[in-house]
Amino acid sequence: MGFWLELVASGLITGGIYAVVAIGLNLQYGLMRIMNISHGEFLMLGAYFTWLAHTVLKVNPLVFLPVVAVALFLIGLGVYRLCFRRISRTSPSVEIIEARSLLVSFGLMFLVQNAAYLAWGADLRGYSFLDEPVEIAGARFTANRLVVLGFAVAASLALLAVLRFTLVGKAVRAMMQSPTGAQLVGIDTAVLHPTVFGVGLALAGVAGALLSMVYEISPAMGEPYTVTALIVITLGGLGSTLGALLGGFLLGVVEAFGMHFTSPSLKMLLSYGVFILVLLARPKGLFAR
Amino acid sequence: MTLRNAVVMTLAAGIVLAAAPWALSAFALSLLLTCLMYAGLTVSWAMFSGATNYLSLATAAFFGIGAYVTAWGLATLPYAVVVPLGGLAAAAFAALIGAAILHLRGAYFAVLTFGLGELVRHAITYSEKSYAHTVGRVLTDVPEAPTVYLTVLFLAAAAIVTCLAVRASRFGLALAGIGADEERAQTLGVNTRRTKIAGFALSAFFAGALGAAMAVRWTYIEPNSVFNPFIGFQTVLIAMVGGAHTVIGPLASSIVFSLLTEFLRLQFPYLFLILLGLLLIVLVLYLPGGIASLWPIARARIGALGARLAKLESGGARG
Repeated sequence: MGFWLELVASGLITGGIYAVVAIGLNLQYGLMRIMNISHGEFLMLGAYFTWLAHTVLKVNPLVFLPVVAVALFLIGLGVYRLCFRRISRTSPSVEIIEARSLLVSFGLMFLVQNAAYLAWGADLRGYSFLDEPVEIAGARFTANRLVVLGFAVAASLALLAVLRFTLVGKAVRAMMQSPTGAQLVGIDTAVLHPTVFGVGLALAGVAGALLSMVYEISPAMGEPYTVTALIVITLGGLGSTLGALLGGFLLGVVEAFGMHFTSPSLKMLLSYGVFILVLLARPKGLFAR
Repeated sequence: MTLRNAVVMTLAAGIVLAAAPWALSAFALSLLLTCLMYAGLTVSWAMFSGATNYLSLATAAFFGIGAYVTAWGLATLPYAVVVPLGGLAAAAFAALIGAAILHLRGAYFAVLTFGLGELVRHAITYSEKSYAHTVGRVLTDVPEAPTVYLTVLFLAAAAIVTCLAVRASRFGLALAGIGADEERAQTLGVNTRRTKIAGFALSAFFAGALGAAMAVRWTYIEPNSVFNPFIGFQTVLIAMVGGAHTVIGPLASSIVFSLLTEFLRLQFPYLFLILLGLLLIVLVLYLPGGIASLWPIARARIGALGARLAKLESGGARG
């Protein structure tokens, strides 16, 4: 019993991180058609900021979480202003926005990742935080993993609630359904787009900060999360936030079980296998009606 | 320039360059080799992705497959057999994958192909570890440097000639039609599915063959070095900078870029990649058609200037 609980829980913990990363990416893609392949690099930045704050300033990583979110939000505003605003204004069609934003974010990926190498070097970094074991129903976890799961779920649900119950959330959903219609009823793209892009990066930064409490970090850590987030989005359906949340947990659990019963080096193969199968069988996502 | 002139010029340049192993130093030769490799990779990439607007990021995967065919086969087969075999393996893989994913447009296609390199890399790492019990492979008995150079030169020239021939053919028109408007091309009787798979496989053939040919330059082959995402990234970047819709644009920029890479990458590895990233961003934002798109503008300006001069002169003669 304890063993199964541990397996499911470790899947859910990874899945929670996947969900937070994927929700941010999904917002950017669903609203602006920005295929931001550099999303994971901002997760890496969030992780490094938290590591720096913990080792240099001795700040509690959980206290520092809001600071990371705000910092990444501001970076997001800057990146949008410098890179993506021009693309969405000058591109003649949605497909061209997708292709160009993909290339630009490809460039961003190289830029940010190598800037991190330059600043912090290629070594693995880490710190210990809340790593005493906790026992629940016969299963043993380290406390930091449970904290990570809690915060990941809380961040996802908070965003879901904002989208569902507030006026801003309504505007975002309207924009996703029909950009022209939303503009006709007075929703301002010039405000909403940068904000949502910033929120996406803030979520990536939070995910990175949470990861840094559990795993060692390196400048190359972001890329696999970008790919996984893209898989999760495909599972959950483009533009669907709830889908991304469920898809993240699903992929986390599938990976945990797959890795346990086959081999840890097959993790990437498993994710891709799931990705290709879903794309072929249900291109609109698992939960599409 | 007609097709025939272009082909003749390519072949003439090829024959001149074939003398290089006996005229240049070892360092200059290796520089030229890198130029030729990227020229071949970029032109063959642009042949499919430039024409159809299907952004393929799978070059690293094809290149790596070719390199591994060499790693596995060179002990028993001659180099001249291994190289086309590497190309065929990559083409077969591309056809298989293409049949599964080429109905996806835009970002989905790009992302899936981006992941392909990783997928193949992990698959090979896993199979080498569990069945061959190795991490990498040491290549013994590799061919001489001039042989490698001439092979890569031949492949690059073949890629350029193929690309020129494809662009002038019905098949090339069909590819360009898919890029302009896929549904319309289909309505006009193009079998878009078959055309896309054939184009994708053809461009993968050259990437695979180049990978197989270049593999002997590294005496130690391991998945992390031959499935280097940098090769795929550099290929796309060069083609975009040069202008993916042309042949001469990617060709010219591949020479500039490989020289830059050779000189800067070893000395300032991180700074160099930062600059490349920045360059890609600036180019996509401000010059989405590539450097080749400046040429018609420049030509029009020169034409207008000439006309104005002629007008002034005739006006002066009358006055």
